[in-house]
Amino acid sequence: MLALLKLIQSLIKTLHSAGTPGQVAAGMAFGSALGLTPLLSLHNVVIFSVLVLLNVSFGGGMLGWMLFVPVGFLLDPVFDKVGLSLLTAPSLRPLWTDWTNTPVLPYTDFNNTIILGSFVSWLVLAIPIFFAARYGVAKYRATIGERVRQSKAYKALTASQVYNVYKMFRP
Amino acid sequence: MKVKIFRWKAIGPLLLLFILLGILVWIFAEPVARQTAEEASSELLGTEVDVGKLDLLPRQASVELRALQIADPFVLTRNLIEADEIRLKLNPAALAEKKIVIENLSLHGMRFATTRKKPARPPSGKGFAPQVYQAVNQWAKQFDVPLLSLTPIDTIRQLALDPTQLTTIREAQSLLTRTDSVKKGLEQGFQQLNIESTLDSARALAQRLGATDPKKLGLDGTRQAIQSVQQSLKDVENAKKRIQALERNAQTAVQFLGQGVQGLDQARQKDFAFAKSLLKLPTFSAPEIGGALFGKVSIERFKQAAYWAELAQQYMPPGLLPRPTPGPNRLRAAGETIEFPKPKELPRFLLEQGQLDFSIGGTGPIQGAYTATVQGLTSTPALYGRPALITASRRAAGSALASIDVGAVLNHLTARTHDSASARLQGIKLPSFDLPGLPLRVDPGTGSSSLMFSMRNAGAELRGRWAIGSNKVSWIADSAGRRLNDIVRLVLRVVSGLNDLQVVAELSGSIASPKFSVSSNLDKAISQQLKAVIGEEVAKAERMVRAKVDSLVADKVEPVKRQVAAVQTGANQRIRAEKQRVDGVERSS
Repeated sequence: MLALLKLIQSLIKTLHSAGTPGQVAAGMAFGSALGLTPLLSLHNVVIFSVLVLLNVSFGGGMLGWMLFVPVGFLLDPVFDKVGLSLLTAPSLRPLWTDWTNTPVLPYTDFNNTIILGSFVSWLVLAIPIFFAARYGVAKYRATIGERVRQSKAYKALTASQVYNVYKMFRP
Repeated sequence: MKVKIFRWKAIGPLLLLFILLGILVWIFAEPVARQTAEEASSELLGTEVDVGKLDLLPRQASVELRALQIADPFVLTRNLIEADEIRLKLNPAALAEKKIVIENLSLHGMRFATTRKKPARPPSGKGFAPQVYQAVNQWAKQFDVPLLSLTPIDTIRQLALDPTQLTTIREAQSLLTRTDSVKKGLEQGFQQLNIESTLDSARALAQRLGATDPKKLGLDGTRQAIQSVQQSLKDVENAKKRIQALERNAQTAVQFLGQGVQGLDQARQKDFAFAKSLLKLPTFSAPEIGGALFGKVSIERFKQAAYWAELAQQYMPPGLLPRPTPGPNRLRAAGETIEFPKPKELPRFLLEQGQLDFSIGGTGPIQGAYTATVQGLTSTPALYGRPALITASRRAAGSALASIDVGAVLNHLTARTHDSASARLQGIKLPSFDLPGLPLRVDPGTGSSSLMFSMRNAGAELRGRWAIGSNKVSWIADSAGRRLNDIVRLVLRVVSGLNDLQVVAELSGSIASPKFSVSSNLDKAISQQLKAVIGEEVAKAERMVRAKVDSLVADKVEPVKRQVAAVQTGANQRIRAEKQRVDGVERSS
């Protein structure tokens, strides 16, 4: 219940942030990597750093993460198949052999079917996620966004201390 | 308006976050590494591994472990190895490639077979090691270790045998059914021969031609006569072929019935054995006694050797092909992690050199300082290029009476793998064990023990030899509260008079089909004594068993045998008669 509440809170804050729909969508596209791929992976450190350092919506990133965690769990069997087919493809064997025998790169665990499969799937899905999110945010702001902004609930939310901390990272 | 790409103000908080994470890693690295080491090694070896303390020494690229305990998977209350201090010197370049290359391992304060304070967890789960553990337990169960039966001969009075339990009777009924169906089949075959019309027309043609003057036939008549003769000969030839085909079928059927009759004799032997087992006659065959007394304890040694050899097969595979292993345990699916060995690179795991020092205390001849070395233990033997070697022996010259020599070679360089291990221990205190079927425990005292185990080509060839010898055996009788019969008392008297014990157990064949034998001076002595005392009585009881079985099965088996013989004779006679008829017509025409 708390997670759901936080998701709604995050959703509302993000949709009404000062960021452009493109910035929010880019944040969601990066954040979806955290949800689609196993969290404790080296590539997610890089993606998180990118999310913080690039002028994209951090809230969008967190929203993308939360939205795509269940999707990641559901798609694990697909990721396993994708990863296995990539790792067992004879033409790619030299690449993986070099990858796993080069300093630092083995720590990416890309020789694991789930990690490689989910990462590659995220790379493929990132662009559609970006465009779908940008369209959705723009549509929302153009339609019911202003009414929500005037509501008492939204005002109560934005008045909280948490929101002040959040504002530090908004685009 | 210029679009800002970077959020420069976020660099500070991000760095702060990484510093915080670094501090957390610094604080929790050692406990986490200790737990991970325990979990990973427990999963790999299939037995509980406990590490008391783990210190990371980054400046020296070393790890120090203290109070290591590796439980014996087959005796959970015992540790295989206990060590006070282990120091691993790692190769930092290999660590950058996520490989564990131990340049040097030193292990101090090692002890063997120590009692655990708390019993270890039994091997469980779906990992490879628990599967091997279950598989070797199953494997050990296939050995048919006979039970030592020492029932007093005076209790053998009568044998209550249920005829439905006898295989011979069931086989006889089944053979009777088969005989009936063979008889019907042959009858149909004879009916379908249909040679009567062929023979009649051949005879008629012969008579007609015999009564005709060839000169009056003319050209057409001669041609027709030749055609008729050719047709008749062809028909006779076909009839002969049909008879030959029927003869072949009949021979097969007769052979089949003959096998059934032989099966009845074999079934009767089984029934004798079954009936004999109901009487629980005392065993006095030396190989059976040897198997009953020392089979279990010997198989236990081979089972443990097979377990470690199977693990070595899995963790040290030959060749450089990519190999999948189960991924790490996590909330998300584990997937598979595929290793890609690369020629001239380091393997994923390598123990280049290990020095293990241990001492045996006390005042016995075995006491002293020992050293063991481990070389080239690796996950990819083809990359290391040399077989793994393990040796253990006394470090300094000691008593000539006692020694420990252990050697093992694990050669997995190619698909033709060869693992061999041998251990020779002299002048050591041998563990005591129970003698199954006897209220007796053997304490071999100080003696010698040797174990040799060799496995080639992933278990296709197996050789093992376990021997113990001692000339200071003591026998601990456990007869409190038990009434011992005369035979048991006799065996106890024979055994108690022996001061020495020599047991040799041998294993050969393959993992899939192993052959096992065991012999000892004990079984020979017991066998001789039993034969002298109860041999005649047992032979009498065996004769009684045979007579009982024979009386039960004779009236079921004999009619079947007679019927089979009748079918066989009938079939042969009819075939012979049909052949003679055809031959007769052929000659006359």
